[in-house]
Amino acid sequence: MTADRALSDFSVAASFSDGQVILALEGEVDVLSAPEFGAFFETMIDRGHRSVVLDLARLRFMDASGLAVIAQGADRLEVTGGTLTIRTPMALIGRMLDITGFARLVQLEPDESKYGQLGLEQTADGDSTHSYGATGTTGMTKGTTKFTSIHSDDDLIDGALRMAVSLAGVAVGGADGVSVSLRRRGILTTVAATDQTISTMDANQYQTGEGPCVDASTKGRWFHAESLENETRWPAFTPRARALGIHAILSTPLLVEEHPVGALNIYSLVPSAFSVQDQKLAAAFAAQASSILDDASANLSDDALSIRFQGALRAREVIAQAQGILMERDGISEQDAYGALRRFSLGNGRPLSERAANIVASTRRGPTDPDD
Amino acid sequence: MTEAPLDVLDLFRIDAALSHGDLWLRYFELGGMSTGLQLEAYLYGALRPTSHDHDIIAHALNERFVELGGNHPVPYAGDEITPGA
Repeated sequence: MTADRALSDFSVAASFSDGQVILALEGEVDVLSAPEFGAFFETMIDRGHRSVVLDLARLRFMDASGLAVIAQGADRLEVTGGTLTIRTPMALIGRMLDITGFARLVQLEPDESKYGQLGLEQTADGDSTHSYGATGTTGMTKGTTKFTSIHSDDDLIDGALRMAVSLAGVAVGGADGVSVSLRRRGILTTVAATDQTISTMDANQYQTGEGPCVDASTKGRWFHAESLENETRWPAFTPRARALGIHAILSTPLLVEEHPVGALNIYSLVPSAFSVQDQKLAAAFAAQASSILDDASANLSDDALSIRFQGALRAREVIAQAQGILMERDGISEQDAYGALRRFSLGNGRPLSERAANIVASTRRGPTDPDD
Repeated sequence: MTEAPLDVLDLFRIDAALSHGDLWLRYFELGGMSTGLQLEAYLYGALRPTSHDHDIIAHALNERFVELGGNHPVPYAGDEITPGA
């Protein structure tokens, strides 16, 4: 049984097997097609399907709005005890899930065969499975660990932050709008916002030089304006916010190397909109955005860089020692010794430096040969 | 298989979500001797690395893919079969 829906440059086909519904997406999911995708996905859940597979093999592009649909679906399935599995061979989508923390937050089970049989021309034809268990978005408060590096390119950083903003907008209950402000070359600017009103809210704070966003970005701690009716801390900014219908604001600092560099701002049209759970989620997303910035390493301090460099230098020396040991022990060339280390690393899925360290350590312990 | 397109290494780098600086540090850790600028030239195909250098770059990328839960998609120089060579 198959149902098809064609859109301008997006289509989704549903098929059913073994109690699962498989939604095969094709084309592009963007802000225009995401509502259709969402409606289709919702319909399947409404019909009582508890095991949903999203097959993205023929999807060429997906932006934050698509991720938001997936997040909402995962959330609904979690409530009903269902499971969501994502099959994507697209490195880009896998990376987006990774960068935004999404893959990690909702239990990633990578398929070991992902890159196994891939040659140079085939990077888009593999098949990996990201399985989303019943933790859903409630697992997000745990997702504050650093796990990925990204290109230190402003566009890519902004793209990742926009996705974080989009996901925060979906996950934080009281949110009517979300933005990220960042200090670039000494000036606070909005790099991602869910809509124009939110951008204006941020701009009003930069212009007046006050507000929770400005304070969080400079003081490095979070500011919660529970109800702007009674707010006295920001006399120039508060009337502007109320004029735009905003009644509650939660600003959480973004920290790089423990220094504030910006803020994640969540706005609500109703007073007292943010529960304690929402505040925790905001902290989790701010940590996520901070780690995106941190990993971009565009602003790595000299200290941090030299610590990383020293670590690399030590590892390098150990590799050279291990090479020397193998050359002596096996009577092989420097190149062959390196090749042996490399093959062991590949064959066992362990870092080459770890293998080298083991070889060096084994000679210190005594004459027993490390097996090859 | 003919020889790999020269700029394919940089595509792997992008796929591995590593900045040029990050990759250079990993390459250096594994014993690479070239500067960051030379490494970029290898990645873009502007300079041809020695097979040893190529293999170090390939291994730095492959270790990263393994960290990300994948396998090791970047071929080594010794694995490439050049017809007629």
